[in-house]
Amino acid sequence: MARSFYPAEHYAPEPQQVSLLPFRFARLSGQELLVNEAGEFLFAPEGTTQSLADGVVDVRSELYKDLKAKHIVFDDTSSPLLDVLATKIRTKYDHLSGGTKLHIFVVTLRCEHSCHYCQVSRQTATKGEFDMSEATADRSISLMLDSPSPHVTLELQGGEPLLAFDIIQYIVPRAKEQAQLRGKGLDIVVTTNLACATDEMLTYFRDEGVRVSTSLDGPAFLHNKNRPRPGNDSYERAIDGIERSRAILGFNNVAALMTTTAASLDHVEEIIEEYVRRDFHTIFLRPISPYGFALKTKTKTGYEMERFLEFYKKGLNHILAINRGGYRLTEIYSQILLSKILTPQGTGYVDLQSPAGQAWNVLVYNYNGDVFASDESRMLAEMQDWTFRLGNVHRDNRHSLFTSEAALNMFEVSCNQSLAGCSDCAFQSYCGADPIYHHATQGDMYGHRPTSGFCKRNMEVIKHLFAFINEDDPQTMGIFWAWLTGNPLPVQVAKCD
Amino acid sequence: MEIDTQSPLPQGTVTIHVRHDLVSVDALLKTCYWFSRDFVCDVSRDSEKQSTVRLKPKAGSDHPLDEAQEQFMAAALDFALRERVTVQTLSVRDLLLAKAFSESGVLEEQPLGVFGDAVEEAKPDGMFKILSNS
Amino acid sequence: MRLTTAGLARNMKGAVVGRITTQDLPFHDRTEHIRFLPEGIEQSSDLSGYRAILSHDDVVTEFPVIERLRESDHFRDGDVIVMEGESGFVRSLYRPYERHHSMFVTERCSSNCLMCSQPPKDHDDVESLTKRNQELIGLMRPAPDYLTITGGEPTLLGDHLFQLIDQLSTALPTTELHVLTNGRTFAWPEYAQRFAAVGHPNICLGVPLYSDCAGDHDHIVQAKGAFDQTVAGLHQAARNGIRVEIRVVLHRLTIPRLAKLAEYIYRNLSFVEHVALMGLEYVGYTPRNIGELWIDPFDYQAELERAVNSLVMRGITVSIYNHQLCVLKPSLWPFAQKSISDWKNLYLPECERCSALAECGGLFKWAVKKHSEHIRAL
Repeated sequence: MARSFYPAEHYAPEPQQVSLLPFRFARLSGQELLVNEAGEFLFAPEGTTQSLADGVVDVRSELYKDLKAKHIVFDDTSSPLLDVLATKIRTKYDHLSGGTKLHIFVVTLRCEHSCHYCQVSRQTATKGEFDMSEATADRSISLMLDSPSPHVTLELQGGEPLLAFDIIQYIVPRAKEQAQLRGKGLDIVVTTNLACATDEMLTYFRDEGVRVSTSLDGPAFLHNKNRPRPGNDSYERAIDGIERSRAILGFNNVAALMTTTAASLDHVEEIIEEYVRRDFHTIFLRPISPYGFALKTKTKTGYEMERFLEFYKKGLNHILAINRGGYRLTEIYSQILLSKILTPQGTGYVDLQSPAGQAWNVLVYNYNGDVFASDESRMLAEMQDWTFRLGNVHRDNRHSLFTSEAALNMFEVSCNQSLAGCSDCAFQSYCGADPIYHHATQGDMYGHRPTSGFCKRNMEVIKHLFAFINEDDPQTMGIFWAWLTGNPLPVQVAKCD
Repeated sequence: MEIDTQSPLPQGTVTIHVRHDLVSVDALLKTCYWFSRDFVCDVSRDSEKQSTVRLKPKAGSDHPLDEAQEQFMAAALDFALRERVTVQTLSVRDLLLAKAFSESGVLEEQPLGVFGDAVEEAKPDGMFKILSNS
Repeated sequence: MRLTTAGLARNMKGAVVGRITTQDLPFHDRTEHIRFLPEGIEQSSDLSGYRAILSHDDVVTEFPVIERLRESDHFRDGDVIVMEGESGFVRSLYRPYERHHSMFVTERCSSNCLMCSQPPKDHDDVESLTKRNQELIGLMRPAPDYLTITGGEPTLLGDHLFQLIDQLSTALPTTELHVLTNGRTFAWPEYAQRFAAVGHPNICLGVPLYSDCAGDHDHIVQAKGAFDQTVAGLHQAARNGIRVEIRVVLHRLTIPRLAKLAEYIYRNLSFVEHVALMGLEYVGYTPRNIGELWIDPFDYQAELERAVNSLVMRGITVSIYNHQLCVLKPSLWPFAQKSISDWKNLYLPECERCSALAECGGLFKWAVKKHSEHIRAL
């Protein structure tokens, strides 16, 4: 009647057979980084992958237990829990469910700025010529809500959208009404330089629940250099606009993004200090857009990418120091990658998805009804490159947009799992595919990885973040996790014992 | 095991002989793909068992030539290793992805092992026998 | 606090469950009650209409009675007890004034953990205990905030568990249920669906997971395949919207990989709402296996802190149970709960001078035999 106890060997016998689960590897900091199919990683001693391939890992070792726990091996003493692993893989692909979530409406091309990197704006156009018509707006709203996603975000863009405020006032109530009728959640955000934002406009946005996203490239000298306008006061107007927007809409409804230009590259600490001075708690060290001028100087791309990477690393160090001082400042690009590396979640950031987020997760509705796979594809069209124009709201429905030649050509090369250079890469789960970038910079949607700026940038940043992860400094990791969870920054704790 | 090499030729070219019992053609080509950023890779098939690669630095590249040989060999062996892992995991990967993208419950495994205590297992209509029949 | 006693049973068949009263209640109020006659009381009142009589001394009566109790000073008005006619045992089932309440549903279990505090018995007690618990549920007043359903392994009750939970949702709708289960049965999708279908509004599973490594976990719970079943079970539970909590007993076999277990929970079981890290109880099987299990809690504070930080950093709620404040690192005090059930609670002599006495949970009563070397007044 009484039960016996059995020793450990009874429950963990020598396996007759050790099998591998799919994984990729890279050599980093004298170790091997192994990454499984769900993006979970393990740092292992050099030679581990060879031992795994040869089937000679010591099954009694702690390393073997680690490999099993991380779903890199399985054996006949315990099921590989394939269903659990499959669930984790599915979670990473969550961005696929629901279809297009971000819908960018270009309400006008008119703009009073003449930023160097912008190809689209029309400074001298008269009202109406490059504005979205009511008919186009109606069709665009309808198409937006055809997306299967239960929740969509409508982003009002331009040119400078506030120059077409009357069109915004046409779109907003109709979008909300239609969203409610069709049972979908709707978020609206307006992307504006705020230079001509009146209090009436801001009040309107507050009343309609529209959030504001604006640009702040750094301190005055840099911001104004990047963004010429009559009076050369883009910075002053931006700051004034930010203050008034916060007062009227509330602090949390005003966000700022920076555009990194060649001029920015030597001033990362000043840019960061500007964000802190202006009480922002997020900053996005975005790479230089390859579109516009940079495209014309292709040979300089490699050099510029090196300089950007220096900019990023120096910037991240400075940002970490600021966080250690108790001021919460999240670097968004790092946060997106850390989320892919450290958490079970995927990402909603369209530029780092595989299948690529363009078209699939974002659509751009131009003022004339042309539908593009991304904002960058719209800029290519300004240079008469129509490769990524999917159709037009007046001629197409969702089905024809997504089965257009432009869409299908793009989808074919959208999965990094099957692209040369990416299919074996250890960072595949953390990176993405960007056919539009490769088309613009290399003349080929498929992309040539060894010379790709997209590849170089992501690989270097990912390696840089893994160096932090491997170092495992409690305070740095505490800061990263505070970014990821939204929880407070770690408190400085005195070391005991 | 080693890949035979010759010392660099005077013009700044590196020659590497690759044995296909260690590194397959595919693995070799993948290595050349990555090295094509800094080198022109001239590959010739000597025989069923061996190919030769000549690496010539591209203009504007500052990749040190003396390191290139060693790095090429190491990279080629790594690609060969990846191939072995891929071959061993091909079918389970297909299964995993099929499960990940299938409807809930459709491709799931039946629970394995003994679930009950001695009392339950002794019952002819024990709950786990019923569950396994449903 | 005493749980059981015994006496001489007369006029009784089977078990009687009822609520204790020392008062001479009006006749129409007597039906749910057991009349208790403490030591020295004069027996003069009318004893009819009660479910049974309980008496410290001899009592003259033809009604169901257990008299000549070994001990009886632990009984209070409002306690719900069960009196067993065959053996004369009297067990306290519910005491309204206590902080922690549990309902015991079976001694059967599909695991056989090395440190089990309630060693399983292969005797089918499901029918009799279910009947008893159905009565108990009807008598639990005032309704407790929380009720732990425990055993053994509750899922071995099959449909009876669903009936009990259903009865609880009607009789005690505001009581939050905590079902302690090894989770293995939930690996059957049909079981998890049926459990969820009972639809109790406020229920959570407490499931032990002792390692990220199947072999280690199976060894600790002494059941092959248990790890796989538990992890699969947790997933099925989550898929059916059943809330889950993970429990880890801390001892020499679980401490070495504790931080890795934390990471495993985060990556594979991210839906868990709470992780409970529990001190070892020197009771049940533990004394027998103490050689394999014992590690002074004072000596594993570094590993414990690492695991706690790892979970907290990732946004998972953590609690530490059954640890004295003097053996815990001060940084871990915010996570320590004053959790030892009232009937198990004890403090050592050195505790009397301790400034943290009010915040500390104390020790289990069996800690007299085995406790940390580092208990000291703070």
